[in-house]
Amino acid sequence: MDMVSMGLLAAMGALATVAGASEDIESDAGSQSNPNSQVQLAAQVGHPHRIYNKAISGEPPSNALYAAVAAVTASVLMSGFGMSAFFAIAIGAVVAAIFNGIYATTAYMGRNTSQARFNQYVYLDVLRTHTTTIMAHAYITVFCVVSISYIMTASWLPIQHPFPMPLVAFIWGLAIGAIGSSTGDIHYGAEREFQSYPFGAGLNAANSGDIVTKAEAGLRSSIDNAWFCAKFGGPITGMAFGLTVFLDNWRATIFDPATQGGLVVLTGIVIVILFNIYNRIMESRARKRYGPYPEYIGDIEA
Amino acid sequence: MIFDANTALYIIEIVIGGLFVGVGVHFVPVGGAPAAMAQATGVGTGTVQLAAGSGLTGLLSAGMMMSVTDNILLVVASGAVGAMIMIDATMVVGNWSYIYGVGVPPASAKVDYDPITKNPQPPYVSQGTVGHGIPTVCYVSGTIGGLLGGAGGSLIYYALMNINHNPGLSGMFAIGIFVVNAVLASYNIQGTIEGFHDPKFKRVPRAFQACLVASLVIGIIAVLITGGA
Amino acid sequence: MSVAAGGGEAKLDKKKLMIYGIGGGIVGIYLAGILNMAMDTNYFSFLAGLGVIAVIVMGSEAVRMVCAYGIGTGVPSIGMMATGMGLVAAMFGLSIGGIAGPIIGLVVAVAFGYFIGAMANKIIKMNIPVMEESLTMLAAAGAITLIGLSVLVAGRIDYELIMGSVIDTGYIAVLFIAGSLAILHPFNANLGPDETQDRTLVHTISTGALAMIAGGIASIAIIGSAGILTILIAAVVWLWAFRWYFQLVKRDSAGVVGTGLLPKGEM
Repeated sequence: MDMVSMGLLAAMGALATVAGASEDIESDAGSQSNPNSQVQLAAQVGHPHRIYNKAISGEPPSNALYAAVAAVTASVLMSGFGMSAFFAIAIGAVVAAIFNGIYATTAYMGRNTSQARFNQYVYLDVLRTHTTTIMAHAYITVFCVVSISYIMTASWLPIQHPFPMPLVAFIWGLAIGAIGSSTGDIHYGAEREFQSYPFGAGLNAANSGDIVTKAEAGLRSSIDNAWFCAKFGGPITGMAFGLTVFLDNWRATIFDPATQGGLVVLTGIVIVILFNIYNRIMESRARKRYGPYPEYIGDIEA
Repeated sequence: MIFDANTALYIIEIVIGGLFVGVGVHFVPVGGAPAAMAQATGVGTGTVQLAAGSGLTGLLSAGMMMSVTDNILLVVASGAVGAMIMIDATMVVGNWSYIYGVGVPPASAKVDYDPITKNPQPPYVSQGTVGHGIPTVCYVSGTIGGLLGGAGGSLIYYALMNINHNPGLSGMFAIGIFVVNAVLASYNIQGTIEGFHDPKFKRVPRAFQACLVASLVIGIIAVLITGGA
Repeated sequence: MSVAAGGGEAKLDKKKLMIYGIGGGIVGIYLAGILNMAMDTNYFSFLAGLGVIAVIVMGSEAVRMVCAYGIGTGVPSIGMMATGMGLVAAMFGLSIGGIAGPIIGLVVAVAFGYFIGAMANKIIKMNIPVMEESLTMLAAAGAITLIGLSVLVAGRIDYELIMGSVIDTGYIAVLFIAGSLAILHPFNANLGPDETQDRTLVHTISTGALAMIAGGIASIAIIGSAGILTILIAAVVWLWAFRWYFQLVKRDSAGVVGTGLLPKGEM
């Protein structure tokens, strides 16, 4: 373990945290992934809306695409034109953001058009105001993910991953999408979309599709949703991706994989056991604090 | 490429890896879209997505380890641990989201008592939902799923690396074989499952057969491909 | 995902689409490879990209067919599976086939796809009548897409060259995912009760052009200015397809409005 590796590891963890947070806000501002099923349903149950409908084929593949496009562009600029890594990654992220914008625009148009019979309009001003916001967040995400991949593969840095940089970026893109859709999106789907229902309960299936379409003044837009989710959903998504990147690489940094491979694996197992114990503690605390639901009428004692 | 005992061994390793992936997917607790609205127990995403996210994170760790050693145990264990860390971090943060963001205690609706902690579940399930959050049994199940997924992906990578000695090609192929097995398995569970205590888990033998045959066919093809110059 | 998947009836026959898709893909790849070799240049690489767009349209139709049945898991997985199967078949074909590589890859992919579809129906008992057929089409689309984009990047149908320029550099990652999204995104993006075949397929042309642009960017490092030509042609195709798509959106939607409140009759 040397100081340079430790510093790079810290940088990777920080970049990953920022990437996770912006990834979640990007998907909330565009309403992507699973919570979008309710946005989709809303028009069908009689609530047309002005919320973005960015159905880009699941977060993991779409983020993998942005990361891979940016990494390839950066790699072409670095190897073909000798550009410095910083500018190459920045330009790569711009290209990825353009891809993101195109996919987002066509998805919004397509999904809303396919709901013509429910009177769901295609609002061009929603496209104009939201798409740039979404692209900006995608830019931050991609820049961070590709930077992590660059740190892991660059030949002059101590961490030498055998995979080529675009492949590493592709895998981290897939991982960040999987994490984003499993963590922060719940805050958007279960809380923000259904804010009119009391806090502290899951969505009753009978209320599916009854999302909030009105704001404090006027109609709710997806930027309002991003504002809300940036307070909790975004940061915790960042924590999840940051923890993944940091812990996974930390164990290979404090021990040398070549000579202390067993210790690297053992450290990982200890981390996993601690996670399991922590989850159990959190579960019991939640059960104790919240107590059983008063409406419950079964025989099983709480 | 000559077919000898080693080639057969590599094919067997690919098949075992594929089976690990296929069976591992059944352990991953995913509630699909309803889980994102705290309407179903499990992680609020798709099976393949979460399994691929964790399994491929494991592949990164395994690739790192494979570049410094060729001990199969270390490579596979490293991949498994990498995948477990990713899925555990995701599930812990997912639970933060459920507990602190939505305000629901984790509860399963498929069983009356958690098989591991013996805690009663139904009183903690809110009205009109089929559970929410990731209770202990699902969490442990998910960890096992990560273990199998990561180990499977790494084993495929290990076998391919020994044939073509090309990390890029082997990594990409491992992803391809991983995805095919994971998708077949997710068709078997029809998208959502809570973990090993879920009645759907009894369908594992079908996925086992399907993944066995699929991995065998793909494995035979894959070992014939050379790494080039 | 959604309650009502699938949509309007198919106006274009799938047999026709299969012939145009597979035929166009193979012809494009060979034209690019042979013309490049005969003229000793790389400027014909874009032809492989145009072939890829044709075959992606076929793949998108296969996604439409199978996802109308509600396969229990989202649209994305089946697209990933298409390129997953296609990748192994494509590399196998290229590695043993030499100049016949694309054809061998296609044959292997068709066998894979049929086989995995049969297993999904027979062993897993999904009982979706079009499963074999659509997975066959998807695997073929995945394989030709990857071969085509690899030829587009490398400029030749040559395994050693493709290994060096596509696999070792890691560009395969973007070809894999861009091809996969091009196949699965259009149906996913147009999902809903009022989905129409022509709108989805026109959208596919535009996503196919995006995949070609991604391949073109990667190819700049390998074949230089010929890659820029590829990007320019792909951009023109994209613009044309996008404008057409926007026309169809205007035709099909309840209303394309600059701004406005919710429509009347809202409950």
